[in-house]
Amino acid sequence: MFTKFFYSCRSKGLEVSLKEWLSLIDALDQGLAGSSLTQFYYVSRMILVKSETDFDKFDQAFEETFKGVKHENMVTKSMLRWLDKSELTDMVSEEDKFRMNEQDGLFHDMEKEDVEQKFKDRLRDQDSEHNGGSFWIGAMGKTYFGNTGGMAGGIRVGGTTGYQTAFSVVGAKKYRDFREDKVIDNRQFQLALRKLRQFSTKLDIPKSELDIDGTIDKTCNNGGCLQIVMEKPRKNAVKLLLLMDSGGTMIPYTNLLSELFQSVHKSNHYKDVKTYFFHNCIYSHVYKTPECDNGDWIETEWMFRNLDSDYKVIIVGDAAMAPEELYSDTGNYRGPNDGLSGYEWLTLMKRHYKRIVWLNPKMAPGHAPWREAETAVKELMPMYKLTVKGLNEAMKTLMVNR
Amino acid sequence: MSNFESTKEYVASEELMAAVNVAIALEKPLLIKGEPGTGKTMLAKAVAKSLNKELIIWNIKSTTKAQDGLYMYDTIQRLYDGQFGEGEVKDISRYIKLGKLGEAFTKDEQVILLIDEIDKADLEFPNDLLWELDQMEFYIHETKESVKAKKRPIVIITSNAEKELPDAFLRRCIFHYIDFPEKELMEEIVKVHYPDVEENLLKNAMDVFYAIRQIKDVRKKPSTSELIDWINALQIGGITADRIKSELPFIGVIVKKDEDLEIAKNNVY
Repeated sequence: MFTKFFYSCRSKGLEVSLKEWLSLIDALDQGLAGSSLTQFYYVSRMILVKSETDFDKFDQAFEETFKGVKHENMVTKSMLRWLDKSELTDMVSEEDKFRMNEQDGLFHDMEKEDVEQKFKDRLRDQDSEHNGGSFWIGAMGKTYFGNTGGMAGGIRVGGTTGYQTAFSVVGAKKYRDFREDKVIDNRQFQLALRKLRQFSTKLDIPKSELDIDGTIDKTCNNGGCLQIVMEKPRKNAVKLLLLMDSGGTMIPYTNLLSELFQSVHKSNHYKDVKTYFFHNCIYSHVYKTPECDNGDWIETEWMFRNLDSDYKVIIVGDAAMAPEELYSDTGNYRGPNDGLSGYEWLTLMKRHYKRIVWLNPKMAPGHAPWREAETAVKELMPMYKLTVKGLNEAMKTLMVNR
Repeated sequence: MSNFESTKEYVASEELMAAVNVAIALEKPLLIKGEPGTGKTMLAKAVAKSLNKELIIWNIKSTTKAQDGLYMYDTIQRLYDGQFGEGEVKDISRYIKLGKLGEAFTKDEQVILLIDEIDKADLEFPNDLLWELDQMEFYIHETKESVKAKKRPIVIITSNAEKELPDAFLRRCIFHYIDFPEKELMEEIVKVHYPDVEENLLKNAMDVFYAIRQIKDVRKKPSTSELIDWINALQIGGITADRIKSELPFIGVIVKKDEDLEIAKNNVY
């Protein structure tokens, strides 16, 4: 029975090692769990699980083994992905929502139990993404289930609360906030940015600095005869160029961007940090302030000349340009194009700066041909979602030697 | 064997008490994680008090190295002494200064060793301590001596989850996550500090406190210790319960950022 629990934990994705398992057996031998199931639950959890993000997996394994409870038709990962449309919430107006509830919906007067039963039925049968309908589980619809829907009362599946009316949240984990894919806050930003330093000290550079501690140690050990020790310079060689999309479609992300901006500037370990702004796409000028006022700018070519190619470049933006903004050489409606289209300017960027990444706060998961501009930019330079995980990956890409 | 229990100053959940006792019984380090201000550091003090043992605190900073906790060889002092012909320069052991871990090992009585905020240090730091914490001994190269714990200390480690800790290290620990206290437990915690706190004042202050924590765009959520300070301020200021919600007096004690102050004022009542 116990061995079954071990494998049950592992099948839920908990990396329980043999060492930890033996510790648990040891604890049980010492009678630390007493004869209470609750006590046993605590003891096994504190020994086997080492992160609060895994508590949920542990609970499932525990329930499965000891209660005989099998989780029927768990809300699958792919379903959560179809439903992760939190950015759509803003688009459904209060008025639409009101109208939806006015109409005689399919399940309007259904009891909670009925809704749950229907939900289970759909879970069993549904195998693809459905948004905006009135039958399947999906986003933006008017059934009782799914998310970003307008129905008052119902089951929300994953995502974030839209109208906070769902009476039961399936698949939303209590400890979810700690997950890696959570959109990040200032402190986590700083930690991720620190990665740029860590790797930089490992660069292959000559030992050119006097190691004072080492020299003193060696000299003293040498009975007072001077013995010099050299070490690699500890200074961070990383130079960073941050280019941020400002205004328009980026307004919902203002908070997030200001966090990133502050984190970069608080990280005083870079050799140099330059920040410029652009609107939707980079053209012949980049702006000095987020207001993007015409005139208060520098020429992009000046940037190329003065910030040499060993600057690491982070571009932040939603890459949601209209096709003409990207491909037409008169597509910049706020300023001059200087004969090149946005795409060509981006290509120039890519050609000049060898280490360049694009961070996108609302990147579509996987292949998203309907976001034409995003797909085009993605082909040009590596794009990551602006989350802890994404930023970490981006930092890694920036540090990799070509 | 004596068991850890809640003390007059520290309210521990049943789960937490179990974690401490299991860690002691299995002779493994206890790793405590949780939001800032949930009383991680306080725990070690409470354990020391409850078990009536000495507490040794090793505060970790970003520059701390594992070696610092073991011992330091004061080469400069030795050089000075050698130049001026003072002291017994030949005797290297005179220049070996034990760190916090070394100190804990050499005590005759069992002590509690708190390694505070281990995640502040370099990523490799926990790995460098694996052997020492497992075997409870280390080797001093200069004197060719090994220092072995006379009485295995009870090790409590706290982390703010700033960095992921290495797996090999985690496998050796007992883990406990201090959840943010629910209202009932919070009431109990406040009363430990201020047993005579007026009911209405406490209720209104807690309502405001949890309301602020609920607001989504608050940058820094107020913590338990800040609530306790706030209640203290309210009592000293002689604020009556009914003024708390309408005026938010001394709100700066729980809300520290300008942006948050605006948000809090607009959102709470």
